[in-house]
Amino acid sequence: MKDLVIPQAILNDMIAHARELAPHECCGLLAGNNGVVSRMYRIANIVAIEGAQNLSSFDSAKIAHLERLSPAERAEIAFVMDMQDFSTAKKDMRNHGLDLQIVYHSHPHDPARPSITDIKIATDYEEIWPKINLPIPSYLLISLMHTTPDIKNYWIKSGQVSNASFIVR
Amino acid sequence: MIKVRIPTPLRSLTKNQGEVDVTADSITDLVNTLEASYPGIKARLCDGSGELRRFVNIYVNEEDIRFLKGKDTTLKSGDEVSIVPAIAGG
Ligand SMILES: [Zn+2]
Repeated sequence: MKDLVIPQAILNDMIAHARELAPHECCGLLAGNNGVVSRMYRIANIVAIEGAQNLSSFDSAKIAHLERLSPAERAEIAFVMDMQDFSTAKKDMRNHGLDLQIVYHSHPHDPARPSITDIKIATDYEEIWPKINLPIPSYLLISLMHTTPDIKNYWIKSGQVSNASFIVR
Repeated sequence: MIKVRIPTPLRSLTKNQGEVDVTADSITDLVNTLEASYPGIKARLCDGSGELRRFVNIYVNEEDIRFLKGKDTTLKSGDEVSIVPAIAGG
């Protein structure tokens, strides 16, 4: 498969998003055409909203962990996308003829690798994408654990993680 | 009859069924009908005033109800409804 192209300006904007929300996780979407990203959508992380963790496919250990934390602290270890924002982004993609390409989120304290929770939820979501008329995206992680952000992109399919390389230009 | 797709996190309420059939003429009616068979499901989908919660979405035949008439979106026999949980991670 051809490498995905992410413009430098969009990469910078994603890093800015991650830094603005740190120590909370940020999340969003990248869309474009023919393997070239042309638009970024910031999506609100609403994990702190009452009940949000119960409707996500978090495993029971993660839910127990989340419930021990205050709502503000929950956003440091998890994200739940605001589906109102998601719908608005999806509509914008449709209006502009763009395809969803990437779901991104940040790891303020951890490496740029999908967590067990990320892999489980992405695998559960595989059957949902076609039902909402979207292609299965790759998953981009922004780690802020070191001074220089580390950014990596992955395919997550049937619980298997593989590298999804991209070019910045 | 309307076919409703239930996402994994809600299947504990639907006796592990991934699809259930209901008769309903609107989304509000559908949610109330589901609640009658699967108590507890309504609170997971709607807030106290019956509005869809921000961490869930409902699609009717692949169209987002937020861009139809929300909870007042009408349904007809043969429609397919998908309950879609928010994209999430850790
Ligand atoms: Zn993660």
